[in-house]
Amino acid sequence: MRHTLIALVEDRPGALNRILGLLRGRGLGLHSIAVGDSETPGVKRATVLVDTESVEQTIKQLNRLIEVLEVTDVTNAEYVVRETALVKIHAPEPRRDEIKTVADGFGARIVGSSPQTVVVEMTDTPDRLGEMIARVMAIGACETMRSGSLAMALAGPAPRVPAPAPEDATRVWWSQADGIS
Amino acid sequence: MTDERTGAQVMCEALVREDVEVMFGIPGGAIMPFYHAMWEYRDRLRHVLCRHEQGAGHAAEGYARSTGKPGVCVATSGPGATNLVTPIANAWMDSTPLVAITGQVSSAVLGKDAFQETDITGITLPITKHNYRVSRAEDLPSVFREAFHIARTGRPGPVLIDVTKDAQQARLVPDWNVTLNVPGFSAPVGLDPRAIREAARILAGASKPLILAGQGVIISDAVAELRTLAERTGIPVVTTLHGIGAFPEDHPLSIGMPGMHGWVHVNRAIQECDVLLCIGARFDDRVTGKASTFAPRASVIHIDIDPSEIGKNVKVAVAIIGDARAALRALIELIPPRDAAIWLRNIRETQATHQHRQPYLRRPDTTELMPHDVYAALNAALNKRGGYRVITDVGQHQMWAAQLIEWRRPRTHITSGGAGTMGFAVPAAMGAAIAHPDETIWAIVGDGGFQMTNQELATIGQEGIKNVKVAIVNNGYLGMVRQWQQLFEGRRYSGTPLTGPSFAGLAEAYGLRGFTVDRIEDAEEAIRAAWDHDGSVVLDFRVEREANVFPLVPPGLSIGEMITREAPA
Ligand SMILES: Cc1ncc(C[n+]2csc(CCOP(=O)(O)OP(=O)(O)O)c2C)c(N)n1
Ligand SMILES: [Mg+2]
Repeated sequence: MRHTLIALVEDRPGALNRILGLLRGRGLGLHSIAVGDSETPGVKRATVLVDTESVEQTIKQLNRLIEVLEVTDVTNAEYVVRETALVKIHAPEPRRDEIKTVADGFGARIVGSSPQTVVVEMTDTPDRLGEMIARVMAIGACETMRSGSLAMALAGPAPRVPAPAPEDATRVWWSQADGIS
Repeated sequence: MTDERTGAQVMCEALVREDVEVMFGIPGGAIMPFYHAMWEYRDRLRHVLCRHEQGAGHAAEGYARSTGKPGVCVATSGPGATNLVTPIANAWMDSTPLVAITGQVSSAVLGKDAFQETDITGITLPITKHNYRVSRAEDLPSVFREAFHIARTGRPGPVLIDVTKDAQQARLVPDWNVTLNVPGFSAPVGLDPRAIREAARILAGASKPLILAGQGVIISDAVAELRTLAERTGIPVVTTLHGIGAFPEDHPLSIGMPGMHGWVHVNRAIQECDVLLCIGARFDDRVTGKASTFAPRASVIHIDIDPSEIGKNVKVAVAIIGDARAALRALIELIPPRDAAIWLRNIRETQATHQHRQPYLRRPDTTELMPHDVYAALNAALNKRGGYRVITDVGQHQMWAAQLIEWRRPRTHITSGGAGTMGFAVPAAMGAAIAHPDETIWAIVGDGGFQMTNQELATIGQEGIKNVKVAIVNNGYLGMVRQWQQLFEGRRYSGTPLTGPSFAGLAEAYGLRGFTVDRIEDAEEAIRAAWDHDGSVVLDFRVEREANVFPLVPPGLSIGEMITREAPA
């Protein structure tokens, strides 16, 4: 079953690599992943759409990664999903009005053009993007670029970064900052 | 005179601060600055030059598994680092605290396919708890601190630190005032009192309870607590391959090992029990057989420090996430004394009808040395003398050792379990021997596995290590594979017959003593002589070639379905 997970990830080298490697190594299907800065410096927030038989196991496995601070499954919560698509449509001048009409109907924008092409941008649910793309594909050959889904639960606690693990009390000697003799 | 140091000196200093006393490795271009600095530290940090990095890694594992402290191995970039992959994977599967230090090419040429450049952090991503590439010397104190903390904390495991050559050479004034900051690595804090109460309630109501003890009991030092709990409740105790030593096998409540080569009465007890208390074990398929049919009547209580182990292979009624010792202490407080004498008597009756050592006691019509003759002699010597540890390799000899030696103490049985890495035993024995110079370290190894890493006998010679005694159970086959071919593949012995040099002669060539033993009446004397000899020894036991390990759960079947003996020819 497909689950929508939201992960808070420390921005360390290889962090994303580890998440992807873990999903691949455990044989899970990755549908999309979108990552960007969170409100906390040094911490990224990712939306991961993954096919898994046991989402609890997947979450626990992800939590084993040092960089992963928190993972929540919003699949059964109330949440919004948005995705952005850029679509480049190869269309001769006479058909541009048609493109504009479709774009307007979907609340999409024409963000640029060249003599042969028009580029449309749209942000909406993945399904709506699919509908819009199907329509413009009937007008001319298309190249699509999609961001992957971004998800956010409507409710939830105020954000916080989990506290560091307690210090290993037995290793006090480390604090003696005494260099080598 | 300033406080300026090189990155390499900082690495040495960090190891000293982490209480490291020995490391196992092989130098090369990208790690040379570290070896340069090591010279100044040679009175505090012993470096053991191994003959292959795989040997260095397993030696560090042997050190770690026998002491509980992180083992340290060192290699250069490229092939040196990739040779460490097998021991790192082995440590990952067996939850062994290991810190692997590798040199890396200089930052200036990194990513340009430089000489001996390999992306070792990429390669070891799925087999380390964490890994680091350090290209700024300033990061070394905090990286080393974190690495050791992660390696030994919670469920232990391997961590790799890859340090570029320029970071080793850079000069800096190190800041040792580092605070640990790994928010994503949270060892579980307190135990959930509700889970403990629920577990106690279920245990109190059980009529056929069973304890399944794994390596977690040993790692968390909970051997005494396990014994208290078992004695207080009369619950019989099963120990997994890695749990061997968590509970003394001469104790009336000890019933033995479960799983693929476990005893019939143990597997039946698991299939019959109504509550299974699993402590620090992870339900490996070698224990469960077909997982969906495992312990079908049992409510499973699972104590584990790694939440991701809960419910992974087996459905759990109560999960107690945390340190095994703390959890057992909390349980002991809540559980009223009880007994399970009738249940234990049932188990013992099954045991009597399937007398577990029987398959080996039926002697063929031969006076040939049988594997069990070797184990009988060894078992007698071990239990008479004490002061030993046994490291086993992978194959038939490993299962016979688990079955036929009466194990009594934690960390005296060390093997490669999760990965099943042939070639583990000889170097791991060397590591354990260095950690415990006053003990006798036996390596029990097959003729196949011995030939994978026996080059470390040269290291043993060079280091003057006197307390490694290697017992080769030499059957002229990759025996465990041959057994499967015999039982399941119509005796097609493809790629399993195996020759070798004179192993005794090889030992002598390495400057150790070597003896060949091929008669029953010589086995005991050879073991005595090896034990008493003031130096490391190789004993080559030439045993009957086609002896098999029984009982056996055929692959994919339920553990209730065991083959207990050879099909009549
Ligand atoms: C590195 C490695 N290669 C291959 C195997 C597969 N394997 C498992 S047991 C075994 C046979 C081991 O033969 P030997 O060391 O002679 O021990 P025996 O079973 O004869 O006691 C093999 C090849 C393995 N476990 N590890
Ligand atoms: Mg063999």
